[in-house]
Amino acid sequence: MIGRALVECLKLMNKVYVHPTSSSKDNIAGFIALIQQKPTESHASSSHPNRPETPSYLLAWVPESSLGEAYDTYVKVDLAGDDSTPRQKYLVPPLPTTTTYKDPIGLYSFAVPLSEIYSLLVRPPSLGWWFGSLVINTRAGDGFPALFFHDDECESTILQKKKKVKESFDPFSTEGSLFWGGDEILRWLRRYAEVQRSAVDRNVYLINPSDEDQLSFGRPVSHGDRSISAKAQPEAAAASKQPETPDANMDPFMKTLKETRWKVLEQLSKITTFTRRTANEIADNPRIPPQVRRLMKNPEIQTLQDEFDSARVYLARWAMSVAEQSDKERNARIWTAQDMLEMENSSVGDFEILELETGNLGLQERRRVLQLPEWEGFFDQTSGRLQITVEEVKERIFHGGLDPNDGVRKEAWLFLLEVYPWDSSREDRQALMNSKRDEYIRLKAGWWERMVEGNSTSEQFDHWKEQKNRIEKDVHRTDRTIPLFAGEDIPHPDPDSPFAETGTNVHLEQMKDMLLTYNEFNPDLGYVQGMSDLLAPIYAVMQDDAVAFWAFVGFMDRMEHNFLRDQSGMRGQLLALDNLVQLMDPQLYLHLQSADSTNFFFFFRMLLVWYKREFDWSDVLRLWETLWTDYYSSSFHLFIALAILEKHRDVIMDHLKHFDEVLKYINELSNTMDLVPILTRAESLFKRFERSVQAIDKKDNFPAAPTAHQRRPGNSQDSSSKGKSPQQAAIGSSSGISGPSTLQNAVNADKPKVISPELRELLRKDIPWRRQPSS
Amino acid sequence: MASRKKVLLKVRSPHLLRATDSKPPKRIFQLTQPCYKQVIILGDSGVGKTSLMNQYVNKKFSGSYKATIGADFLTKEVLVDDRLVTMQIWDTAGQERFQSLGVAFYRGADCCVLVYDVNNSKSFEALDSWRDEFLIQASPRDPESFPFVVIGNKIDVEENKRMISSKRAMTFCQSKGNIPYFETSAKEAVNVEQAFEVIARSALAQEEAEEFSGEFSDPINIHLDNDRDGCAC
Repeated sequence: MIGRALVECLKLMNKVYVHPTSSSKDNIAGFIALIQQKPTESHASSSHPNRPETPSYLLAWVPESSLGEAYDTYVKVDLAGDDSTPRQKYLVPPLPTTTTYKDPIGLYSFAVPLSEIYSLLVRPPSLGWWFGSLVINTRAGDGFPALFFHDDECESTILQKKKKVKESFDPFSTEGSLFWGGDEILRWLRRYAEVQRSAVDRNVYLINPSDEDQLSFGRPVSHGDRSISAKAQPEAAAASKQPETPDANMDPFMKTLKETRWKVLEQLSKITTFTRRTANEIADNPRIPPQVRRLMKNPEIQTLQDEFDSARVYLARWAMSVAEQSDKERNARIWTAQDMLEMENSSVGDFEILELETGNLGLQERRRVLQLPEWEGFFDQTSGRLQITVEEVKERIFHGGLDPNDGVRKEAWLFLLEVYPWDSSREDRQALMNSKRDEYIRLKAGWWERMVEGNSTSEQFDHWKEQKNRIEKDVHRTDRTIPLFAGEDIPHPDPDSPFAETGTNVHLEQMKDMLLTYNEFNPDLGYVQGMSDLLAPIYAVMQDDAVAFWAFVGFMDRMEHNFLRDQSGMRGQLLALDNLVQLMDPQLYLHLQSADSTNFFFFFRMLLVWYKREFDWSDVLRLWETLWTDYYSSSFHLFIALAILEKHRDVIMDHLKHFDEVLKYINELSNTMDLVPILTRAESLFKRFERSVQAIDKKDNFPAAPTAHQRRPGNSQDSSSKGKSPQQAAIGSSSGISGPSTLQNAVNADKPKVISPELRELLRKDIPWRRQPSS
Repeated sequence: MASRKKVLLKVRSPHLLRATDSKPPKRIFQLTQPCYKQVIILGDSGVGKTSLMNQYVNKKFSGSYKATIGADFLTKEVLVDDRLVTMQIWDTAGQERFQSLGVAFYRGADCCVLVYDVNNSKSFEALDSWRDEFLIQASPRDPESFPFVVIGNKIDVEENKRMISSKRAMTFCQSKGNIPYFETSAKEAVNVEQAFEVIARSALAQEEAEEFSGEFSDPINIHLDNDRDGCAC
């Protein structure tokens, strides 16, 4: 409308979106700009007669897609920085100036003269809206579409934030507000117009308000002498508004969220920062009832509570439950799945890697549950042979899990447990299963005959009888809350059994038969407590004793070392966990050492039966199929342990000072944990571990520096706060029960890290301790 | 934890509760300070160790306890001759191969409870080896006088199923240095309280014997913020 002359772009911000529909796919990215037109322009003026100086400024929004070659200039302006006066003038093509907004379909770009803007409705990011927004209302009464500030994508806002970080070291602490794009817009406008926050609605900012407007919406009359217009006293107006403090303040809670997310973007985050601060905040949070805060500060009083074993364990649990509750509330109130994922990730504080590697959409896609049709699509329709790589299948299962209801587990678990070879055809599998069924019947007949005919030595028979009793005892106390195993609807087949009076059900009897058959199949090992826990989910999924038996055998091939008479397998894993914590979280390790807890015995149950007692039934199934993939490591279950430990590390370090307290606390986590966040955390920890090993290996390729080795940050602080140097801590534990390696390792804390064979084994995808798979 | 002697300060009466605001006179706490005792329950799997512990501490019985894996404990405060004793009762897995990792709990025990099922002779025959195992692993300073208590559980089961007579059990206990013997039903709460009272007394006596020997002769500082300390009773 105004000739072809270029106009000057004063201020610009990228990644300001219009959200035409509720679907994020339809979002339109664009620039918001403050533009100065040549003073000569005669404006199609409905401009306010009292303000002749302003019409030449326009507030504009233009979609990226419509910019064409001007795009580069826009980006330059956006990145020109925060200087109050641009050193350079940037000229851009003029934009169509409008004062009304009528065409929501075609016309998204607009430029509104400042003089025509009546007010801005500014909504900072809040719990309901992840993105802050701004709506322009004109004097003509039109509202323009809301502009959403995607600050995390906007380079200039990120730069601004960085600058503020440099200036203040804490961009988030100022008056509980976080810098966001809307603040910046208001700051721009203040240079060229009077901006006054409405006293009536704090989200409304009046632009060049008239006296009447001020009377109706502006600052309260008592606030000052209204006869002096704010415009005439720009200094005073500015001072009273304190423009350096962003006005559109966020809810402090939202601030924490944004802050965390911000840190992810910045890759500054350490795994500890979020949770540590959260824990501290709980103790000092004025919103927590005073009696509860007193409890936090006065643990002695808590000991009156008899039902808890120690004040600290109780308080630790309590602190964690408060933190988790607020996590949950937060998750429940933030809506898109996208945000959920980001939340989950950022609260761990260590997810930059995942984010960067996969992109969020990819991640979400990969976490989709694998259902039967997709599974069947992996196989050739006629031959039944796998058409994609095993790695691809495992990746899908690792990240997505299998559908719990559509029967895909019945099939897929047989591959994961290596009953079926991955390269088999449908025909192969049918033949294989037929012969497996025969073999199961044969094995079962082995002990059946012994029971009936008793044709063995009395010693053998006694042992077998003992095993039978043990199996029966355990089957009757395994997963009885699961409907499948709950009933007692048939009389016991053996009147001499201790359970003869209580009755049984067909599935319990099947469980006994399978375990007795395994006892026969693997006589060196026999039945050991815990095996019934491992079999129950497999049987529940297969619901066919012969199939379940062979799947169980496959599972036992990798679990056997947990049950060895000398417990060497369990010791080895506890030692590996010890080494892992030492490498990944030395501070926590020192604390555990001071608490005589580096035997890691409190993970015994979790490792022995793969968290069967810790998670919900349905989560156990999901966890096991994840672990069976060996996608990252055949020892991924140790990273689950590490993830659990890391989640609770601050509580442990703040509250738990003795082995019994740690053990009690960890034992009581049972059935309180959500699996998926732990899986995500474990994955991230694995990647961090892998990178650490690589980094250390690389460093080892160079000759050692002659000077003293650098002390790890945090060590000195930690030791002073604990009152023990690493050496002292090590000596303290040497008289205790810690593993043999801990003394040496802790003394060497300042020396270069060496990757122990136990740790290196954690990078393997095969199962080093497994015997030849039984065929 | 090992040989650490544990005291969890517990503020009992209202006037003492008020006293927590400032440092109370040491004397009051010495008078009321409870002892912290550690008790370990051993025995074959399925004899009812977990049930006994829960019946004693929580006054509850459930037929659906899962097999214990690893170890766990419960604590209970009891008054023994006007002295408050806080008992930490450790429950362990029954299958013998899991005991090798449980050494941590053996050490520092003040009393060891050996449990068998009166309807299961095998579990009775195992008592001797459980006792030996404990003495080897825990290596108390005076194995001869270390307090054990034997419990024959599940006396609620019908009489004709019973495998071990009271007489046989008592003979065994006598031969091992007059170990106190109880027959209980964790299911029906028979004799459980009585058995644990003796267990508490035995544990307390054990502490006094050790203290007499001067092992813990250091002066003991008691502060509220130092919630674990030597036992001053």
